Amino acid sequence: MSRAMVEVEELRKEFPRRGKSRQDPPVVAVAGVSFEIPQGEIFGLLGPNGAGKTTTIKMISTLLKPTSGSVRVAGKDAIRYPIQALRHLGTVLSGERSIYWKLTGRENLEYFAALYGLPARVARQRINALLDRFALTKRADENVERYSTGMRQRICLAKALLAEPDVLMLDEPTAGLDPQSARNLRDLIREVKSEGRTVLLTTHYMEEADQLCDRVAIFDHGQIIALNSPGALKHDLDDLNVLEADIARWDDAWGAALQERGAVNYDLRFDETARVHRLTVHLNGHLTTGEAVTELVNLGADIRQFSLKSPSLEDVFIRLTGKSLRE
Amino acid sequence: MDEASGMHYWRAVMAVAKRWLTTYIRYPTWVISVLLWPVLFPFGYVFSMRALAGPTGEALSSFAQLAGTTDYVTFLVTGTTFWMWFNIMLWGLGGSFRMEQLRGTLESNWLAPLPKTFLAVGVFLAEALMGLVQLSMSMLTIALVYGVRLAGSPWALLSLILISIPSIYGTGLIFASLVLVAKEINGLIFFVRGLITVFCGVTYPIAVLPGWMQSVSRVLPLSHSVSAVRAVLAGGGFGTIAGQLRYLAVSGAVLMALGFLAYAIIQRRMLHAGTLGQH
Repeated sequence: MSRAMVEVEELRKEFPRRGKSRQDPPVVAVAGVSFEIPQGEIFGLLGPNGAGKTTTIKMISTLLKPTSGSVRVAGKDAIRYPIQALRHLGTVLSGERSIYWKLTGRENLEYFAALYGLPARVARQRINALLDRFALTKRADENVERYSTGMRQRICLAKALLAEPDVLMLDEPTAGLDPQSARNLRDLIREVKSEGRTVLLTTHYMEEADQLCDRVAIFDHGQIIALNSPGALKHDLDDLNVLEADIARWDDAWGAALQERGAVNYDLRFDETARVHRLTVHLNGHLTTGEAVTELVNLGADIRQFSLKSPSLEDVFIRLTGKSLRE
Repeated sequence: MDEASGMHYWRAVMAVAKRWLTTYIRYPTWVISVLLWPVLFPFGYVFSMRALAGPTGEALSSFAQLAGTTDYVTFLVTGTTFWMWFNIMLWGLGGSFRMEQLRGTLESNWLAPLPKTFLAVGVFLAEALMGLVQLSMSMLTIALVYGVRLAGSPWALLSLILISIPSIYGTGLIFASLVLVAKEINGLIFFVRGLITVFCGVTYPIAVLPGWMQSVSRVLPLSHSVSAVRAVLAGGGFGTIAGQLRYLAVSGAVLMALGFLAYAIIQRRMLHAGTLGQH
């Protein structure tokens, strides 16, 4: 087995409640999580906003001191010796504001190369190579404020790779990107993995985790509620059928009736473009898909179309928590 | 610290200073603070003094008794120029870490594998250099506009300005750390600037203050800088300002040490509270 590049053990972070007395119990943002990431793996922290993903990644990247637990990066104790651990870490923080907009892309990379301790000659070579690799050479001498969101995110990624780190951490890397830019960024992340680097990323996009990650830790309320490969997590739901139906009108009583008949749970979204309610029903054998459709029709639902789909990581999350990621 | 680390930290300090200066000059409004403001700002005080002095300047003798000079223009302009130096420092160095926090770049700087004190050293160097440039340009401008002339030793003046830097920028580091805790700069600047205006004899001789206020004034390094500059402009040399130079050297060392200590304490506190990236 490959060497563990990130080792997290019983990591916990508590914050005192604002405006409350010391006797009040603290807010537990991360409640004792443990995992290991071997070299060359893309590992995803998946969960809704506020689940504890970013707090975890900040503790690993030494930006936040844990209340208890341990973190090792490339074998270095990141809590006791943060500078040593940071030498092995490249981090892309959430959002595009972690670089200087009044500096050019090249100036940003030169600046961070100096902070990471790269000699000037090495820095120049790496910066040129990274600008080329990320298709930024032509715009390298323009101020970052004139870049698109996707270009800024590529500069952030280039910045994180300057010191050729063993571990690359990305916090919500594709948030705010258009589909094309997000796809390009995911390709770059796969390239980074192919170089033998370890990648740890947080995301609340199920499809992204499914496509990118070798393993996924699903977070909820500061805890890991499942950890495995996306395939294995979905395989655990082999008794689950997922029915998707577009319905012209919806009545909450129909959802209750479905659950009374044996549906595990259901999720409803309104599609503004198609002007239909998109219903997803999880069924586990107590109620077949045919019976569910018949039940809906009998209740008076005007079903425009329906289909069966394979379980996704979103379905895994719903099965584990009884709620959708967006809730 | 080994040689490689030493080189790394030195390069980082220089990079921070270069980045700071590059960003600064890309905001063209800096010209206002360097060239226009130093000229405009003293006018209000100069005209107030002219009104108080009377049509033929008959009240100037009582001013001279307290200030030691009838040249109220030089007296005022010296005070306001140093006040502005301090004020620009508060907005610049004092707001530096908060500005990084608001921009979102503070955390990305903290991800660098080096002791974070070196980041502060870089900002300190850039701000001190920029402050000196601003002060020089301000002094040149007011010499041209107000006709202020240096009658004393230029070396004493230069030494005085250089030895004032640690006390002014040490105060700035303490202030910058407080701003990170308070997460708001305006109120703190108005408060500190108000204290300086009242206690440091910027526009009036300290002798007019009540006794206890004079005691406070004597503790503040900026009072010593302002009174010493006035003495040198009036013809003094090293001998005239030796006491003030000694006081500024000692207080500068203390304030610098306190500044870096405050920075270290706040850094530790933010890493525990998770407020490094909070707006």
